[in-house]
Amino acid sequence: METKKRTPWRRWIVLLLMFLGCAAGGGLAGYGLAGIPPVRPEITAAAEKLIAEPIVDNFLGLAPLYLVNTLPTLGLTIVLLILIAYFTNRSLNRSLKTDLVPRGIGNLMEAILEALYNMTEGSAGAKWAKTIFMWFATIMIYVLFANLLKLLPGFESIGVLHPAHGEGFAIRELGGGWSYLLPHQVEEGGFILAPFFRGISVDLNFTVSLALIAVVAVQAIGFRALGLGYLKKFFNFGNVFKVPFFGVIDMGMGILELVSEFAKILSFAFRLFGNMFAGVVLVAVASSLIGFISIVPAMLFLFELFVGVIQAFVFGILTMVFMVMATAGHGHEEEHAPEGSQTEVHEL
Amino acid sequence: MEGSIMEAGRYIGAGLAMLGAAGAGVGVGLSALGALGGMARNPDAYGNLLTSMILGIAFSEAIAIYCLVISFLMLFKVV
Repeated sequence: METKKRTPWRRWIVLLLMFLGCAAGGGLAGYGLAGIPPVRPEITAAAEKLIAEPIVDNFLGLAPLYLVNTLPTLGLTIVLLILIAYFTNRSLNRSLKTDLVPRGIGNLMEAILEALYNMTEGSAGAKWAKTIFMWFATIMIYVLFANLLKLLPGFESIGVLHPAHGEGFAIRELGGGWSYLLPHQVEEGGFILAPFFRGISVDLNFTVSLALIAVVAVQAIGFRALGLGYLKKFFNFGNVFKVPFFGVIDMGMGILELVSEFAKILSFAFRLFGNMFAGVVLVAVASSLIGFISIVPAMLFLFELFVGVIQAFVFGILTMVFMVMATAGHGHEEEHAPEGSQTEVHEL
Repeated sequence: MEGSIMEAGRYIGAGLAMLGAAGAGVGVGLSALGALGGMARNPDAYGNLLTSMILGIAFSEAIAIYCLVISFLMLFKVV
C-alpha cells in the first residue's frame, strides 16, 4: 500500500495554460492577428439571410423561405442530440448485456435524467411524473444544447459578406476568396457580415415555436387529467346563479386564467430570446470596446454559460410547473391532487 | 437637425427603458433575502430553496431583460 502524497504538479500546468490562454487570446482578439481591434458585429434581432434570394419561393403557400443562418445551427443541434441519444443507447445496451453497470456516456445521462426525474416526481407525484418528465426533460435538454452551442468559437464571426445598403464595414483581402472586416465604418461600398452560424435561441422563431409547443402540451395534459372538466378552469359559470357575488368573481378569474395562458406563450418566448439576445449584444459590445483585454469577454462568456444553463433549467421547470398545475385541477378538486405536491411543501 | 433629435431621442429612450431594471433588482434581492432566511433557519431545505430561489430570480430577472431588449432595439435601430 503506497500512501505517498503525490505532488499535484498537473494543477500548475492547468493554471499556466489558463494564463497563456488569457495572454494569447488577448493578443489574438486585440492586435496580434490582424493588427486591428475587434469589430462590433452588425446586430439584428432577426436571423441574417445567407443567400439574398429565397430558396423556396412559396413555402407551403405562406411566404418565401430564406436560408437564414439559424437553419444550419438547428441542423447541427439536432444532429448532435441524435448522436448523443445513439451513443447513450449503445452504451446502455452494452451494459445491459454484461453486468448492468452503465459506463461512460450512458452513466452520465442516467445520472442527469435520474436527478431530473426525481425532481419531477417530487412536485408532480408518481401518477403523472412519467408523462410530465418526458416534456420537461426533452425541452430542457434541447434548450440547453441550443443555448450552449452559441458559445462555440466561430459562431457569429465567420460568414459571408453582403454589400451593405447603408453604412458598412471596410474589408481587407486575405487571399483565396477570404477577407476580414476592418473596424471602421464607411458610408459607401461597405460590407455586412452574415455569419454561417447563429445560436438558435437568438432567433425569435425558435423560442416562439418552443413556447407554443410547451403551452399546447400543457393544455393537452390538462385535458388528459381532468377531461372536459379542465375547461371549468377558464369558463367557471357554475356559481353565478347560486352565489351571485362570488360567482361573478369566479367568472372573472376564469377569464384572467384564459388570458394568462396566452401570456405564458409570450413570456416563455421573450424570456429565452431576451436573455440570449442580450448575451450576444453584451459580448459583442464589450469585445469591441475592451476586447484587447481578453479577460473581460472571457468572463462574459463564462457568465453566458451560466445564463444559458439557468435559462434552459427555467424553461424546462416552468413547463413542468404549469403541467403540474394543469393536472391538479381547480378549487374543491384539489383533494385529488397528486400526493407529494401539496404535502411536501408544508412539511419542510 | 432632425436626425440629431432622433438620435438624442433614441439614446434618452434607451436610458429610460433601463429604469425598469431597478424593480428587477429589488425583486432579485427580495427573493434572495427570503431564500437565505429560510436556509439559515432550516439548512436541510437548502436544495429545495435554492431551486425555488433560482426560479424566482429568473422571473424577476426576465423583467430587466425585457427592458434591456427594448433599449438594445432602440440603440441599434433595429425597429
